[in-house]
Amino acid sequence: MKRILAAGIMAGGVAAAAGWVLAAPDPLPATALKPHTASIENGKRLYTAAGCLSCHLPAKDDKQADMSLPSGGRLLKTPAGAFYPPNITPDTETGIGGWTDIQFVNAVKRGISPDGRHYLPAFPYTSYSKMSDADVLDIKAYMDTLKPVQAANRPAELPLGLPVETIMRRGLGMWKLTSGFEPAEFVKDTAKDDIWNLGAYLVQGPGHCAECHTPRDWAMALDTSRWMAGGPHPEGEGKVPSLRSLKSRGRFKDAADLALALEFGETLGYDKMSSGGMAAVQTNMSKLPAEDRTAIATYLMSLE
Amino acid sequence: MTSRLISSSRTAIFGLVAALGITSAAFASPIEDRQANMKAVGKAMGALAAIAKKEAPFDAAVVNTNATTLANNVKESKAHFPEGSETGDKETWAKAEIWQNKADFEAKADKSVEAAMQMAAVTEEANFGAALGALGATCKACHQDYRRPKQ
Repeated sequence: MKRILAAGIMAGGVAAAAGWVLAAPDPLPATALKPHTASIENGKRLYTAAGCLSCHLPAKDDKQADMSLPSGGRLLKTPAGAFYPPNITPDTETGIGGWTDIQFVNAVKRGISPDGRHYLPAFPYTSYSKMSDADVLDIKAYMDTLKPVQAANRPAELPLGLPVETIMRRGLGMWKLTSGFEPAEFVKDTAKDDIWNLGAYLVQGPGHCAECHTPRDWAMALDTSRWMAGGPHPEGEGKVPSLRSLKSRGRFKDAADLALALEFGETLGYDKMSSGGMAAVQTNMSKLPAEDRTAIATYLMSLE
Repeated sequence: MTSRLISSSRTAIFGLVAALGITSAAFASPIEDRQANMKAVGKAMGALAAIAKKEAPFDAAVVNTNATTLANNVKESKAHFPEGSETGDKETWAKAEIWQNKADFEAKADKSVEAAMQMAAVTEEANFGAALGALGATCKACHQDYRRPKQ
């Protein structure tokens, strides 16, 4: 009996050790990056499309802070706990100023920090992984031009506390392995035209629309069988609307109509474009080149 | 005599029914009141948006009527969020923050009324777009803080 128990414990230990190893962060090596000449302009465009600032804002009651810079600290409450997205200005001490290209790419596309830990997926690297390395490096080049702000990061408040956090973060590696998170770039659908593909890329990658508009399964992974079908609001504010059958449900007449809604929102009388965080998204969308809005609208209107 | 009795009882019944009707109207829940109110705002905004989208011609009289309706309704809406109406028998998308920041909520409504009154005064098509943008921004400012998303 004792021997069986010991064997059981040993087997369990081996499984746990195997799990621990399997769940280890798997960053890309620096050699994975192709040489790239960064475009700051394209970086600004994608930084806007990705809505980086919308989450990395300074705290609401921080009167001294410049609200146009992503120095972090604004509360993001989720079912998993309270997060305070970090400072991502190029401050070398408290921000991401000292980061290398590969560190930035691993953070944005693989959810791995420079010190080799898994980021909690409140940071939507699950979507950003669809972006090309070139686009991600352009974003970095643009962010390097922002004014550095010295603002220390505030740790997340997780319901189970810090000791559990280490295990949970490693556990996230398991989650990454099993939840269908594949750090795979967007692949063009050759049966569709360029504008549709551009829209699909912007929606699925930088726009990370699915993170709220696609429901999640029991493991908190996106349920892709119900792609963009709407779901509970991540901050508990009711329901996030479905983006499917927008035309047949009479929500928008056509892609041009939706593009106008993305550009103007309620300033042109489009309802439901301001609640639940959508106001910030729509403000970001209004700053994109018109072609990007048309592309996003074209892709979304094609979801039956 | 009989006919007079019938007639007067008819009057009484009519009066009773009318009184009940009025009573039930006056006692419609604040949630229903504010939803009807915002529906009217949305309709007026829709008429203005149609002009911006060139689905309808610019007509100063139409602009004035709808902007005035909008201003009156938003002004009135402040009365439709009394204490205790955070929830009710009907689903509401009003966020609890309304009652926590009542002064800010009402200030945002006032800004909207102001913008709608400026819209009501627009007589030239050239000034219409800017006025609509300013008005819509006040809708957005309030909804982003105080309205939950709905399917």
